[in-house]
Amino acid sequence: MPSETPSHVARTRSGEPATLLEAISEALWEEMERDERVFLLGEDIGAYGGAFKVTRGFLERFGPSRVIDTPISEGGFTGAAAGAAHMGLRPVVEMQFMDFISPAYDVLTNYIATSLYRGAGPMPLVVRGPVGGGNRGGPFHSQNVEMAFFHTPGLKIVYPSNPRDAKGLLKSAIRDDNPVIFEEHKGLYRAPHCREVLPAEDYAIPLGSARTALEGDDLTIVTYGLMVHRSLEAAAELARDGIRAEVIDLRTLLPLDEEAIADSLKRTGKLLIVHEDTRTGGIAGEIAIRMNEQAFEWLDGPILRVTAIDSPVPFSGELEDYFLPGVRDVVIAARYLVEY
Amino acid sequence: MTPGPAGHAPTGHHAPLGAQATSDLLYLGFQARFLEAGLRDLAGSEGLHPGLADFRIDTRSIVLARAMRCATDGTGDLCHAGPLAPGPALAFGATPLEFLRHVAGKGTSPASAREGGLDWTDVRRGMIGSGAARGGTATQVLAGAALAFGNRGEDRAAMVFEGRVALQSGGWHEGMNLAGAVRAPLIVVVAARRTAGGSVHADLEAVALSYGVAFAQVGAEPPEHLFRTVAAARRRAVHGEGPTLIELVHVGNEERWASHDAFAERATAEDGLSEPDLDAIRRAAAAGVEHAVDRLAKEPGPTARDALAPVCTDGPPPPPWTRRDPPAPDTPASYDPAEQPHAE
Repeated sequence: MPSETPSHVARTRSGEPATLLEAISEALWEEMERDERVFLLGEDIGAYGGAFKVTRGFLERFGPSRVIDTPISEGGFTGAAAGAAHMGLRPVVEMQFMDFISPAYDVLTNYIATSLYRGAGPMPLVVRGPVGGGNRGGPFHSQNVEMAFFHTPGLKIVYPSNPRDAKGLLKSAIRDDNPVIFEEHKGLYRAPHCREVLPAEDYAIPLGSARTALEGDDLTIVTYGLMVHRSLEAAAELARDGIRAEVIDLRTLLPLDEEAIADSLKRTGKLLIVHEDTRTGGIAGEIAIRMNEQAFEWLDGPILRVTAIDSPVPFSGELEDYFLPGVRDVVIAARYLVEY
Repeated sequence: MTPGPAGHAPTGHHAPLGAQATSDLLYLGFQARFLEAGLRDLAGSEGLHPGLADFRIDTRSIVLARAMRCATDGTGDLCHAGPLAPGPALAFGATPLEFLRHVAGKGTSPASAREGGLDWTDVRRGMIGSGAARGGTATQVLAGAALAFGNRGEDRAAMVFEGRVALQSGGWHEGMNLAGAVRAPLIVVVAARRTAGGSVHADLEAVALSYGVAFAQVGAEPPEHLFRTVAAARRRAVHGEGPTLIELVHVGNEERWASHDAFAERATAEDGLSEPDLDAIRRAAAAGVEHAVDRLAKEPGPTARDALAPVCTDGPPPPPWTRRDPPAPDTPASYDPAEQPHAE
């Protein structure tokens, strides 16, 4: 029974700019129309349309066998997605908030990530959902989860910063035969400055490929997600002082495009890594050691990082603003590096 | 999404299975016993782990799996049997040599020893291994597979066979809850065990009721009763009547069943098999296993290169170049782990 296409998945068809959230919705909708093996599972994603309304109208269009409202059991429905993936389907699991992915940690790391290596075959599934702070969500609705999974061979991790990338990367993630964790920053979901007209054609952006968000030759800033925008703001401020920062948007964290980082570093000689996730065990540490291994001779200063502080995400606005890395932090670190 | 009414599922009756089905089960049962004996002989030698001497194959798992629809091309049912119950591998067509290669972690095993022992997953053959089945993971995974069968309208079902200890994990309940909610064609068999983990006194019928799934209780003897109960649950499942929870109760004579005496007695008394028939089945099973045991001793172990198999479908993982001397950022394609200083 055909139903009317919801407006939020038809921005591109209408030639209108799309938000990051709408880009995610479009990617899901188009992939479900393209491939009947794609189906969705998650809490309140059907009748309610999802906590952020990403899947509003999907139940009416695709029916309850492809838009499955699950019990509140992240481990259970992620495990079920694995079983369906074994049987040739391509499930997309929504975590209402990515903070809630922790009950599924066991099945993701022990079972799903090891599937191919154990001889159990490909595991084409995506686990996606909102991450990130700044919305006064407190410790249970604001976390970034990438580093809980970064250490697990067999997983891929994607973290887009803009609607175009979000749509193209999510399509690639759904078409990938490996399990992909797909993080969507809530602060970008409906951000007005993030709206853009997306390509009309069916496009996919390969996983594992970074992009240069801004070219420069005085230092390299490597970042992803919402911090791409903070870093670009910082770069604009630095430019007023004649400092030309290059900003690399990783887009995919695992596999990490270390070649793009090294290429930039070899031109600038300085490396600053910016992430919203907390400091200890953050991806900055891994990037730093890889550049130490591969590009030490080109370094003209220490590798620095700007991150959240090592604490849970606080509830109060004042505390959260202090907790999160900001434009000023990036500017200070960049100036220090350039003058080093 | 609305669970249907729970209730008692039809159980099997005691009618004989017939000579062919009985012969088949007897053959697999004898094969299991001879494999155990072969592993006892091999354990500790030829680089095999001494613990293999204690390896046991719960014959009930063979009967359970045989009641499902077996196929080797990825179109049959899917079966998970928990630790100590790798019988489905035999029931779903693994040869004794394949079985021994896998259990012993030989380089010739299906997963080149990256998975082994009790854990064997072969989706095309319909087996999901137990290794990661921590906290009821298998019930969740099989519920999802069953969901896929149901949504596609296929004549397929999934079965989980676990000890009663599984009920202590939240994951098992999450899997049952989901299966009940989506009416997945799933059969969950829970066996009583005389271990600490088996001391949970949950009323399984009440558990089934709470998840809106059908319930059946059956003993391991006579084997055809167990076989028919699972087969009946399978029929219900593929006809859209949802999951069944089967309680396999401890009847106190598992050793007899395990040694096959009870089943052999019934086979001669009720299925028309003669003593010479039994001997022929026994000899055929023994011959296959003896051949496999002889071959196993000559099979090579895995090489270091086997560890570099793909973790993602994109290709093998990058070799650990920092182990090379001198370090080379651009790893040559001809990397050979055997050349590394740490390699034996």
